[in-house]
Amino acid sequence: MTRDWWKHLVLILGAIIVLAPFYMMVSYSFKSPGEIDRGIGGFFGRQEMMIDPRCVALRQPGRADIEAARTRFPGQDDAGVQAALLAETEADCSMRPAVFNYSKAFTEAPLIRYLLNGVIVTVSIFLIQIVVALPAAYALAKLKFWGREAVFGLVLFCLLIPVHAIALPLYIMLAKLGLTNTYAALVVPWTISVFGIFLMRQFFMTVPDDLIDAARMDGMSEFAIVWRVMLPTAIPALLAFAIFSIVAHWNDYFWPRIVVTGNRDLFTPPLGLREFKGDGDGSFFGPMMATATVIVTPLIVAFLLAQRRFIEGITLSGMK
Amino acid sequence: MAVIDSPAIPRKPAQVNRQARTAWGLAGPALALMFLILLVPVLVAGVLSFSNYSLGNSGFDWVGVQNYERLFTRSTYEKMFIATFTYVVTAVPISVGLGLGAALLVHSLGRIGDIYKTVYFLPVMATLLAMAIAWEFMLHPTIGMVNRTLEMACGTWFEVIPFLANGCADGFPLWLGDRDYAIWVVCFIGIWQGFGFNMVLYLAGLTSVHRELYHAAEMDGAKSAWERFRLVTWPALGPTTVFVVTISCIRAFQVFDTIEAFWPQGGGPNKSAYVMMFAIFEKGIQQNLIGIGSAITMLFLLFVMFLTLIQRWLVERKVHY
Repeated sequence: MTRDWWKHLVLILGAIIVLAPFYMMVSYSFKSPGEIDRGIGGFFGRQEMMIDPRCVALRQPGRADIEAARTRFPGQDDAGVQAALLAETEADCSMRPAVFNYSKAFTEAPLIRYLLNGVIVTVSIFLIQIVVALPAAYALAKLKFWGREAVFGLVLFCLLIPVHAIALPLYIMLAKLGLTNTYAALVVPWTISVFGIFLMRQFFMTVPDDLIDAARMDGMSEFAIVWRVMLPTAIPALLAFAIFSIVAHWNDYFWPRIVVTGNRDLFTPPLGLREFKGDGDGSFFGPMMATATVIVTPLIVAFLLAQRRFIEGITLSGMK
Repeated sequence: MAVIDSPAIPRKPAQVNRQARTAWGLAGPALALMFLILLVPVLVAGVLSFSNYSLGNSGFDWVGVQNYERLFTRSTYEKMFIATFTYVVTAVPISVGLGLGAALLVHSLGRIGDIYKTVYFLPVMATLLAMAIAWEFMLHPTIGMVNRTLEMACGTWFEVIPFLANGCADGFPLWLGDRDYAIWVVCFIGIWQGFGFNMVLYLAGLTSVHRELYHAAEMDGAKSAWERFRLVTWPALGPTTVFVVTISCIRAFQVFDTIEAFWPQGGGPNKSAYVMMFAIFEKGIQQNLIGIGSAITMLFLLFVMFLTLIQRWLVERKVHY
């Protein structure tokens, strides 16, 4: 331990740099605009009541409001009533900075909708990938048929093509089909995971033939074997692949940026955050960092809870 | 259970036929999608790269190799190649080196090291776009944490460092707004995000190095830690290194999120961070110049395939340096 102090020193310095933006992101999501501007308030900020300027501006008392409120403030002239109303509005519009930031994150943009879209897209991508890849992997691993080597060669070749690289022709094809700005556009290019086929094939190679022959003797069709015999044996590999796939698509920004233009209903979380940044003025750093925190948190929490599985899943591509 | 069909006995032709048919049925959807989603687009890009096609126009002309010619003559694309290669050549070696260094340190610490492993892996999990925005705030010239921290060093003995002395006298860099720093900041964030991934791959490689090898090396006179690393660890990590370098290169070529987040238009001050992915996005999608976008796509695919083929070739030779 004492001999290792320099290692800890180096690693701790590294950890500070690695954690700095996370620290700042979470810290800003708690602070008031003033504290962010002046760089004060420590990690949580002082959480003093602050007044939301937009809220006050929206509820500026007009002539009619003053008339209506006259009975509540008897014996005061117009200016007095207006001042009293203004004080009321300010009281209504003041809140703790942390509450302000997070409530703005959810109300200024339909963040819930974005998160839901993120879930819909990542889950459907994963499910379709499995439905497509698993039977193919089984055929390649366990069935003998003419052309098998050629098909596997094709899989190996397709591993060379990153989907992001062919985004432009894919976009043109989708546009020709009139599919841009749909869920389909977000999902379709990812439905085929050659990597998934390759991975599951390697895994199925290790499943003993006896298991499959026994199932055949029980009268199961090949199709049933895939889903009722092979799928259960492949759960660990599938879990790792699930993590790999979900992390990649939850965080993906490039592809949604291309096929979703303007239609907010289809925004995935990164797109929502990007839009927030686009129209944000200085006072919105806090809510924006709150949005970023909300988007980043689910995967980070899941990772911290199941670290070993996540590391396995993300480094899956290392198993080639 | 009357007939026992042992796999040793050759199957009847009818059965073989039936199995072939089911096999094609099972692999069919995957094959069809592979063609439609991966191979056809490559062909489409290849064909369109010789045209001046744009979406919404009824016709188009074949322009021969004009698009490719532009790529190699226009200064915009010269900047694109410079930015892309600067990024790849900087981010890849440093993130691989840091990954290896971190893995060696973490590995040597045993169980306590796991804390660092967790911390260093966090950026890999986090949405890069969100973290890019966080970094943008950190690097904000006046209210950013980076310049604030640097300012704290002013007036102390740290000022002997020329960079700090200059900064204290004339103000610290604008970082993202300065064309001399922009691409390096993007490299830094790429390294920040990627080295934890490399570290984890190296850690997996390290656990498979046999302890006896170290003892053997020690008996042969490899006394210093450096000698043991040079003679045992590094050669044993050869396959891991090949893989880590390839995957880092492919990811580095695809850098996009940070650049789009920092500079939605134009790819950085004076196009100093105008990388290939951004060029495809800007030319092909935003400006609807499909021909030139396709030509960049083809070149991009060429680079990536070339890299992967080198990797496969090295793996097949079972590299041990």
